[in-house]
Amino acid sequence: MAARRALKAVLVDLNGTLHIEDAAVPGAQEALKRLRAASVMVRFVTNTTKESKQDLLERLKKLEFDISEDEIFTSLTAARNLVEQKQVRPMLLIDDRALPDFTGVQTGDPNAVVIGLAPEHFHYQLLNQAFRLLLDGAPLIAIHKARYYKRKDGLALGPGPFVTALEYATDTKAIVVGKPEKTFFLEALRDTGCAPEEAVMIGDDCRDDVGGAQNTGMLGILVKTGKYRAADEEKINPPPYLTCESFPHAVDHILQNLL
Amino acid sequence: MAAWAERLAGVRGVLLDISGVLYDSGAGGGAAIAGSVEAVARLKRSPLKVRFCTNESQKSRRELVGLLQRLGFNISEGEVTAPAPATCQILKERGLRPHLLVHDGVRSEFDDIDVSNPNCVVIADAGESFSYKNMNRAFQVLMELENPVLISLGKGRYYKETSGLMLDVGAYMKALEYACGIEAEVVGKPSPEFFKSALQAIGVEAHQAVMIGDDIVGDVGGAQKCGMRALQVRTGKFRPSDEHHPEVKADGYVDNLAEAVDLLLQHMDK
Repeated sequence: MAARRALKAVLVDLNGTLHIEDAAVPGAQEALKRLRAASVMVRFVTNTTKESKQDLLERLKKLEFDISEDEIFTSLTAARNLVEQKQVRPMLLIDDRALPDFTGVQTGDPNAVVIGLAPEHFHYQLLNQAFRLLLDGAPLIAIHKARYYKRKDGLALGPGPFVTALEYATDTKAIVVGKPEKTFFLEALRDTGCAPEEAVMIGDDCRDDVGGAQNTGMLGILVKTGKYRAADEEKINPPPYLTCESFPHAVDHILQNLL
Repeated sequence: MAAWAERLAGVRGVLLDISGVLYDSGAGGGAAIAGSVEAVARLKRSPLKVRFCTNESQKSRRELVGLLQRLGFNISEGEVTAPAPATCQILKERGLRPHLLVHDGVRSEFDDIDVSNPNCVVIADAGESFSYKNMNRAFQVLMELENPVLISLGKGRYYKETSGLMLDVGAYMKALEYACGIEAEVVGKPSPEFFKSALQAIGVEAHQAVMIGDDIVGDVGGAQKCGMRALQVRTGKFRPSDEHHPEVKADGYVDNLAEAVDLLLQHMDK
């Protein structure tokens, strides 16, 4: 077991950890209150590419979680931060529902490409436009590179294959900003003023949540809710700092051992 | 670099790329590249053997040749080595029934092929037909096969049309490779079998042949790997950085086909 650390920040995954679709994980609201009473900074992190912060906040408020908008950090936020850092004007190949998170970002006369899960935009003409921008030196920012996802009618291509197509055509590499990339976790912590060594991540996806966080120097707690499957904890090396039943159990452990 | 006379000594046959060397495709059939019609005519009048070696897979050979003839080129179907016929041969030899991810313009090349109950996917330059829906269908076919086979007509990254550069089949091939975790088989340049069959068609050996193309990797690099010499033209998809490619050094860089033919006719052994 790791030595006691001065814990200053807790990152919490949303879907699968704090709630499962439209139902809260039992005891989660109360556990969150206890965590806040311990004066650590809390951030809620997710890889969504088609829900704006407003959408997420609404759902969480309905489930009676006490959360404010500026505590939410999504892969879309990560992409927006990078766009602002680089001072570029992006061509946005993202779901319409994600557009609110880019309000105020200049998109006219683009010199960058941001790409998420947006099947309606992955037709030849638009991809060709993106390709020409990239060939001229525009950076390619990918929310994530998932190969496919599950739809009602079966498996469907994710953004990963189209990012790969553009990378190959232009002989460049995309900057991937979602979990499990280091950038995602570092960006999520940025405005907390905390170093990764002072933070812990709680999530249900062993590779993307826990593995990604630990790679950055954080502690990772794997919860057995959401997409967790038996023996997931054996799939990463080093293994999770802790594997436990659910978010409330993770909070108990933090309050008893890490503060 | 050695003098042209040295570099072009002993050439008996010429393989000509089509797109980017003879013409640029595009609206209204596209446009001939300046000097190329006359250059082809001069080559045909010379003792050199000529073969057109193209990765064109959006149009059938008949449509392509018809178009080029209307632009004034001296060319016939029997002089063209193209990937669709080569693919059909492979499909028949291996009992493969393809799901075709292709442009309607090339479908007629597959008229003889059994496409029922597909056990593989064939991907060509589908252009506008590379919709998300069509890509997804091909992906789903592959994911349902116990032994997924993906055959790609070429693997080019992009080519030039009159309106600008266009994503080519290679990019979409890579997309399906990544999605399914498989590797495609490539028919067409730069595969050695393809070059060999073009050489066989004119009865010329590799060391006696020169390839003229606009794709530094697919045309020039590919031809050189087969023992041919190759000239890079500065038309078509050429970009200045191609002249400093980290891996491929052409046997010569010329402005266009007309200049290439000038040099060939000047320096070939009489």
